[in-house]
Amino acid sequence: MADGKTYQTEVNIDVNTRQWNLEAGTEYRFELDPGTTVAIKLAHGQAEIFGAELAEGSVYLFGFECKAAVYTWQGCTIEVIGLPSTEYVSDETPMHAYANVHLALEQMRVRALRTVHGSPPSSDDEADTDANPEPPRVLVLGPENSGKTTVAKILVNYAVRTGQDWTPMLLNTDPGEGGWAVPGAIAAAPISSPIQTSTPATTLGCAASSAPTHLTSNALLPLAYWYGHAETKRNPLLMDRLIRNLGDNVAERWDHDVESRVSGLIVDTPSSFAASSGAQNEHRHALIKACVDAFKINVILVVGHEKLNVEMQRTYGNRMTVVKIPKSGGVVELDASYRERVRKYQLQNYMYGKILQPPPGLSTKMYLQGGEQIPDLTLNLAPVSSIVSFGDLTLYRIGEETMAPTSALPIGATRVVSEMQPLLVDPAQPGSGLYNAVLALLAPPNPDEHERYDEEILDLPVVGFLVVTALDIPNKRMTILSPSQGSLVGRTAIVGSFEWQE
Amino acid sequence: MSLYPQPQSQGYGAAAFPPPGYGQPSMYAPPAFSYAPPAQPVYHVDPTSFRRDYSTRLAELTVNSRPIIQNLSMVAQDYTRFADIVVQCIESHIRRVPQWMKLPAFYLLDAISKNVYNPYANCFAPLVVRLFLDTYEQVDQSTRSKMEEMLLTWRTGSPNGRELFGVVPQLAIERQIWGGESTQNASSSRFGTSSSVSAAQVLSELEFVLNQQERALQMNPYDKASQHHVAVLQQLRKLVQAGVSQAELSQILNQLRTLAQSAPTSAPVSVPPPPPAARPSYAAQQASYAPPPPPAPQSSSYPPPAYMAPTPSTAYTVPKSEPIDLASFLSSVQPPAASASVPTASAPTNNIADLFSALVKAGVVSSTGTPTGAGATAKAEEPSKPVDPVKDAARKYRKAILKHKIKLTSADISKQRSHVVEFMYDRLPAQCKQCGIRFPDGASKKTMDDHLDMHFRQNQKAGQAVSRGHSRCWFVTVEDWTHDGYVDVKGKGRADGRKISSSAAAAAEAAKREAELRALYVVVPPGDEAKPISCPICKEPLKSEFLEDDEEWVWRNAVKRDDKIYHATCHAEATASKSTLAVRLRNEKTGSRSRSITPEKLRTPPKAAVDGVPHKSKSPSPTSPVRTKRKAEDDDPYARLEGKGDAPPAKKFAVSA
Repeated sequence: MADGKTYQTEVNIDVNTRQWNLEAGTEYRFELDPGTTVAIKLAHGQAEIFGAELAEGSVYLFGFECKAAVYTWQGCTIEVIGLPSTEYVSDETPMHAYANVHLALEQMRVRALRTVHGSPPSSDDEADTDANPEPPRVLVLGPENSGKTTVAKILVNYAVRTGQDWTPMLLNTDPGEGGWAVPGAIAAAPISSPIQTSTPATTLGCAASSAPTHLTSNALLPLAYWYGHAETKRNPLLMDRLIRNLGDNVAERWDHDVESRVSGLIVDTPSSFAASSGAQNEHRHALIKACVDAFKINVILVVGHEKLNVEMQRTYGNRMTVVKIPKSGGVVELDASYRERVRKYQLQNYMYGKILQPPPGLSTKMYLQGGEQIPDLTLNLAPVSSIVSFGDLTLYRIGEETMAPTSALPIGATRVVSEMQPLLVDPAQPGSGLYNAVLALLAPPNPDEHERYDEEILDLPVVGFLVVTALDIPNKRMTILSPSQGSLVGRTAIVGSFEWQE
Repeated sequence: MSLYPQPQSQGYGAAAFPPPGYGQPSMYAPPAFSYAPPAQPVYHVDPTSFRRDYSTRLAELTVNSRPIIQNLSMVAQDYTRFADIVVQCIESHIRRVPQWMKLPAFYLLDAISKNVYNPYANCFAPLVVRLFLDTYEQVDQSTRSKMEEMLLTWRTGSPNGRELFGVVPQLAIERQIWGGESTQNASSSRFGTSSSVSAAQVLSELEFVLNQQERALQMNPYDKASQHHVAVLQQLRKLVQAGVSQAELSQILNQLRTLAQSAPTSAPVSVPPPPPAARPSYAAQQASYAPPPPPAPQSSSYPPPAYMAPTPSTAYTVPKSEPIDLASFLSSVQPPAASASVPTASAPTNNIADLFSALVKAGVVSSTGTPTGAGATAKAEEPSKPVDPVKDAARKYRKAILKHKIKLTSADISKQRSHVVEFMYDRLPAQCKQCGIRFPDGASKKTMDDHLDMHFRQNQKAGQAVSRGHSRCWFVTVEDWTHDGYVDVKGKGRADGRKISSSAAAAAEAAKREAELRALYVVVPPGDEAKPISCPICKEPLKSEFLEDDEEWVWRNAVKRDDKIYHATCHAEATASKSTLAVRLRNEKTGSRSRSITPEKLRTPPKAAVDGVPHKSKSPSPTSPVRTKRKAEDDDPYARLEGKGDAPPAKKFAVSA
């Protein structure tokens, strides 16, 4: 709640609408209860939400337990329609620090671009002592609830807002979050327009749908790999491999596109990278190292964690810049059940899209959701439910003890299963765990049989996600919900530990 | 006549005057005297049939074709008794044709007036002002500049070096297109001061004179005077482009006019003897020009030795090795004033160099040629304007970014106040009212317009797609993903990069690949031409066709794999991912192909879609078109595909499985 100072005023306009006058450098923070929505209109002034600027006069809709903040550099007046569960204004934000980080990264981009263009260093650039300047490749580390994703988002949004045509790569290596795909996946996507905030289901923007969208951040084509679990500790070896796969492909993409290489990348990480609870330490360091190697990280940002900062300084300080950045006081402690609900929202959003109902009292029908002007038409999706026979879809589980009979195992495999081994899943077996399971449909394997190898499915990216909505074991059939048309016959999918029920 | 830019020279803007395109009125003139009688017998006996015939020929003048203009000009010369009809035909032709056809007709008017002169110049004089100005209003900028070039040649276009159509029409036109009294005040007082002179006008006259001089220099490469003139003029051009005061502009203009008059004479007069090789041409030129060009009626009897040999048709083709042809060619590019000024061989009283030194003295120009007031005004004339501000802004941005002393250290980033507002807001004044995206100061209006167009199109598309369902796309394959940026950047350009969604880039990529695949072919083994062969994948027959270049029968869109011939597209589709966006687009294109495998019958048990949001109303809002699961039913699965708007319909991919 308002903390008693006089830098903000709250004015009730009517029952549903309140007006907040925000001074320069303050932010309005709000949290929503499940099922409620809030509309915010920038009446005048300039404001941004996690780096994405609001257009004056437009109404923005938020929902699905969204927790966000409207920050203003120069002061503004906003109107809030609807009732957030919590709302207050704070003048203590780390935005100046984040903005300074952005400027420093921007300098790296400019220098790298100059090298690409082959222009000489300018005389007024004293700091430019590096003979071979590199674009910023940033790893954002931090403990739980430190606002890592928000930092990554702000930095990406600032980069695309400069008007310099940067298209930084945003990577999500937190399988618990899902990013553009669904929880359980890690993914990378180039960003060319500011990522909007409207629901926690689309924290990092939306994957492309067939609907015409206005912002490219609502039509991203990510490259995703399926890890299948929320916790990195469950299979760190697999995680390691997938991170390196992502890195290889980012590097290849940049080989073709030097200009966008200059924009650099920003990697959001799971909090488990920062946890320092004994036993997992080894895995944790291995995974950080995997990120550093795979993405050729040259800047590590540690969000509000002294010990981790020191640790990183010791390990990487001689090779790259390690900077501790302050944590925002606005970060909300998220409990496990909230995260669980968000995963559900994400899957629902993946399949059906999401339409927010405007809060009562919103007089206008012209509102933006996630930056889209006509959310009804563009954010509403229709998935496809179809029945396939068990034999049509080859299902694997990676490195887990299953109930599969020995005969169903790959030849030569024993019951002692390595972490990385793909194991066939037989849907006909009771307890296959397929009911309501989220499946990751893989890209087809290499067409050239000679190029194939045993663990190839570990290196295949995901083209989409499916959910088993019904199992008909007597008839050896199952009902599959898929996001769009396309035959599943002959395809391969991997089962993880995520389940989803509509 | 002069202004016959070759057809391929249409791209020349006002600034760059192509050597063959400009200021060679005598190109036509000498041959005009030697026109052989038209090859065909004379049959235009009565005015009516002449008019019909001339109009018909005129109708062929749709492009800037030298032979046609030449031919029409010759006819006009032979039938001076029908001059009225010729003039009427040309005028109505110019007024009738679309704007892109007007310029060639004007060249014809120009050619006839200059080369035949009498009586045509007089006939055109009463109507040329209206005709010129009306046309000038209708045509585009590049045509306008060509018309201005032509107008400048009219100043000295008559055989005696005076205004081709007389002082009054010339002034009337110039005043209209360059405004005010800025133009030649009168032929008698070419130094008349003028109240306002536009830099554009000075520039175009400057270019004209410069071109003259350069051509003179080409002819006499050792002519020091011409060299000097060219150098001075080039400096002057820079000066004018950078912007000078009114007084100086008119001063320059006056000097230019003097020079334009005197240049051709002064050049030959002051030249050292040309090198021997050039001698014949020079002599020939002198010979041909020695007597003042007689009026047109006599001109047909005028025997210029150099021009008798080539027939009109060969005179205009590129001369071969014969020196005599070369001579005629060279002299034909002599500036228009040449013939006019030779008779009045008096030395010019003024010299452009004087002007330049006067300007230097006045402090307008530094002796190195850098205008002191450069950049202050009149930048508008620079043709590269649309590109520069963007690059400039980007450069300034980069400079400004680097100026900030900020290091990536915890201390540095937390202690300073950030200057980010400058970069996020102040430098980006233009903002899209709909989505809040800002555009840099220097960004051309086009970027913003493109962005707004994108909004409009997307809204329109979304509106059209009402009641049709959309669905989440499959993610792209690794190959498409790693090459996506490449297409995005190199294919479409970054200027409007924002509006190009990755899917559009993927579509472009898909289309390209499709075209590549379709271009593949397999040579039909000899003897197999008649053998029907079908693609193992789609079972459709492969079409054979004859390749003209290789003189072989080939199967188009075919690849050979393991001794089997496949459709290249089918094979690629079968081997590549069956579900990438790219493939789906490809399928859409080739959707007419029938599939051999019947799509599996799919059934769904009736199961209500349950909304996963606990507190949310479960009934779809009235405006939400589809909020139910799309069922795959027993009916034709393709039927649904039509309903997907711009979405690439996903076909059955079972084909190759």
